[in-house]
Amino acid sequence: MPYFDYKNFIPKSVAWFVAALLILLPLFTRNSITLSIFISSGVWAIAVMGFTLILRTGQFSMGQAAFMALGAYATAIFTLQSGIPFWPGFLLAGIVSGIIALLIGLVVLRVGGIYFSIITLALAEIIRIIAERWESVTHGVRGLRPPLPPTISLGGLEINFATSAIPYYYFMIILVVITGIVFWRLEHSRIGGTFSSMAANQILAEHQGIHLMKYRVIAFTVAGIFAGYAGAYYASFLSIITPQMFGLWQSIQIMMMSIVGGISSIVSGALIGATILYTLSIYLSRLPIYNIQYLLFGAAVVLVLLFLPKGTGLVDLWGKFWRKVFREPEEYEIPEDSEMATE
Amino acid sequence: MTLLELNGVTKFFGKLAALEEIDLTVDEGEVVGIVGPNGSGKTTLINVISGYYRPTSGTVFFNGDKISGLRPDQIASRGIVRTFQSNVLFEGATVLESMLIGSFLQYKTTDWQSFLETKTYKDDHERVVGKVIELLKQFEIFNDIFLPAAGLSHGYQRMLGIAMALIANPKVLLLDEPTTGMNHQEAMFVVENIKKIGEQGITVILIEHNMKVLLNIATRVVVLNFGNKIAEGKPQEVMSKPEVIDAYLGTETI
Amino acid sequence: MPPAEIWIDGLIQSCIYMTMAFGMVLVFSILGILNWTHGQFYMLGAFVVYYAVSSWGIPFPISLIISGIVIAGLGMMVEKFVIERLTAPGYGMLYVTAATLALIFFFEGAAGMAFGLDDKGLAMVLPGVLDLGSFSISYQKIAVIAFTLVIMITMYIVLNRTRMGLAIRAAAQEPIAASLYGINVKRVSLIVMGIGCGLAAMAGSIMAPVLYVNPFIGRVPMIFSLLAIVIGGLGSLTGAIVGAIILGFLNSVIAYHVSYLSEAVLFVLVVAILLIRPQGLFGAPIK
Repeated sequence: MPYFDYKNFIPKSVAWFVAALLILLPLFTRNSITLSIFISSGVWAIAVMGFTLILRTGQFSMGQAAFMALGAYATAIFTLQSGIPFWPGFLLAGIVSGIIALLIGLVVLRVGGIYFSIITLALAEIIRIIAERWESVTHGVRGLRPPLPPTISLGGLEINFATSAIPYYYFMIILVVITGIVFWRLEHSRIGGTFSSMAANQILAEHQGIHLMKYRVIAFTVAGIFAGYAGAYYASFLSIITPQMFGLWQSIQIMMMSIVGGISSIVSGALIGATILYTLSIYLSRLPIYNIQYLLFGAAVVLVLLFLPKGTGLVDLWGKFWRKVFREPEEYEIPEDSEMATE
Repeated sequence: MTLLELNGVTKFFGKLAALEEIDLTVDEGEVVGIVGPNGSGKTTLINVISGYYRPTSGTVFFNGDKISGLRPDQIASRGIVRTFQSNVLFEGATVLESMLIGSFLQYKTTDWQSFLETKTYKDDHERVVGKVIELLKQFEIFNDIFLPAAGLSHGYQRMLGIAMALIANPKVLLLDEPTTGMNHQEAMFVVENIKKIGEQGITVILIEHNMKVLLNIATRVVVLNFGNKIAEGKPQEVMSKPEVIDAYLGTETI
Repeated sequence: MPPAEIWIDGLIQSCIYMTMAFGMVLVFSILGILNWTHGQFYMLGAFVVYYAVSSWGIPFPISLIISGIVIAGLGMMVEKFVIERLTAPGYGMLYVTAATLALIFFFEGAAGMAFGLDDKGLAMVLPGVLDLGSFSISYQKIAVIAFTLVIMITMYIVLNRTRMGLAIRAAAQEPIAASLYGINVKRVSLIVMGIGCGLAAMAGSIMAPVLYVNPFIGRVPMIFSLLAIVIGGLGSLTGAIVGAIILGFLNSVIAYHVSYLSEAVLFVLVVAILLIRPQGLFGAPIK
């Protein structure tokens, strides 16, 4: 798998353009459905980034959705039953899911490999079952209704989360940007190289001085923290959290978004994969053909795995396309390591 | 000054004794050759020293500290680094990438500093890259740095392996059959480099089948057979010992 | 002491999971991968039988065999065109895992598109119940038990007394040595995949009249047979059988006694096993 090929190439101009577009989107449309599609895509993208990060350390986690559930329920329970205001409650979401990810990771990442994957599967189901059965706290299948963020008054401006989706939209952009920066730094710092080395050759990495457990736990915990925030945000946006929202099958869908988007770039791949698959699923579910989106997504993942070079996804095709169109050789003949240019 | 000390190191796999009561001391600056027919336990010995295996009984000391039972990364960070005979590469990585991600121990800055990309880290990184380039030039694979490491010939892959071991700042270098699978030219090149490594003050332990190599560079040779140490001494002396010739009968030429 | 119905239900579950788990372990032994799509073959087999019986009027036993053969063929195609390519040198386990997980959705989507999402009921092929005094058991359930016995005996004979079985066992244990002896490991892998998927399909078929048929019925059996083989040990056929028996009865009995969190108990048990003794009961110890 290409833990090393940073072939995705998005010219800075394009990136800024898209960013500007996103920020100004609410000026073009007040359609809450369009906004909510972007919002939801962002939520899943955050979870996907976590999955890809864990994948970069060589582990296959089926638990990302479970951490979303943990974050969502944590916020809902704390704000509803302990009367904590929204924002502290929201902050708690990531802390709770992060601590649980840390504890679980410390125990479970020792085994690694297929056993680890099965355990994350089991954990996803265990959390769903607890959410269903622990009626007194989680209200079972009926779920909880987390509160909305309170209206914020800034100068003369009133930001009211209850009346339109636009405040949620900007909230989402902030979340995605923060998450994106963290994951991007992780990927492009020495830590990212360490992760890749573990995935590429675990034994060799260990003998070169890399403490495998430490870095596996770091990846797993960071992924868990942000998945928790994504879950808490989504539950607040939808005003509901039920056990079915974030289960094993959602974890698998997160995986599919990661693969289709491309794992060679954690942030871009996640954004592309989540946005495309989520948006398509919304439109496809409106067609009278049952379940075509599942058929297509399953097929898409398999096709990507089979036919695109070693695990590249859409993000790399995008890079290739731009290279063909713009052909800016100086930008990438020398790899990201600019020290080489002086030799 | 004794650097590495093995006391009664024994390693069982089930009922099979791969190593039996091995006592060994290695002093600083030595170049110790480990020889023995196939299956005599040479690689197991390296695996035990490097921490990949925990000895069934006995202890390994490094600079007076007990290291048997530590993880491989802990042992590597103390300065004992090994090469591999197979499974040498980081899958999918170019030559340069392999060296960079393998240079974990060369850095003096922390992960957090690298995450924040502080000035200290950037300077450290530049220093490390400089060392990487130096090593790659030394091993003549500098021209291929952007090529996938898997595309190198076997000989050059092994050189990359040695370069990776060196970038990890070893005090003791464990080489697992460094010249096996190489032609004479490549083998001699490796020998020259091992000499240079020795001159830099790094203690070398190498598993070798090629006696010419050992006669050339080894200060001492240890002979294993069936997990036991059967002889030890200067290369010339050891080669002519009857029990050594016996053990090798029909296997390698001396 | 739970009533007899619980024990019978446990036995039925054991039978189904046994058949599925056996197929999963066979595939795991030869191909080295966990086929996450295994449950979908169960589901597809049920659909084949449903249409064979209700639309084409083919008698149930023959439909059962047809479904086994058809789905075995499907499984072999999946093996040839997907799994084989993704387990070639240079690819990792992660690829196959991702692909087989994605195929779950592919098959569910396909079945949903082709057959619709509604529950389809297959009339009891063997209506009526056997009255045994204090409890009764439907003939269909007896058929499940009998079917499983037949399957297990057949598998035992095939694996231990036929040349193909010998080839399979050799390829499972030592693929390199086996190929040196002239065994075409690729062909054996294909056949084993066929057998495994065929078994899953027949399990789905025999259960179709007992429950209902819809595109999602493969999920639970897949998860449970996975749990069974973890309990029994990932590479072990005996383990698959024993694990399935333990799991089937445990599931039934626990649900009866402690329905509150019974499902969770099984998953917790599996997690504990994977942490403490990952090789399960009969698997080979891992380093």
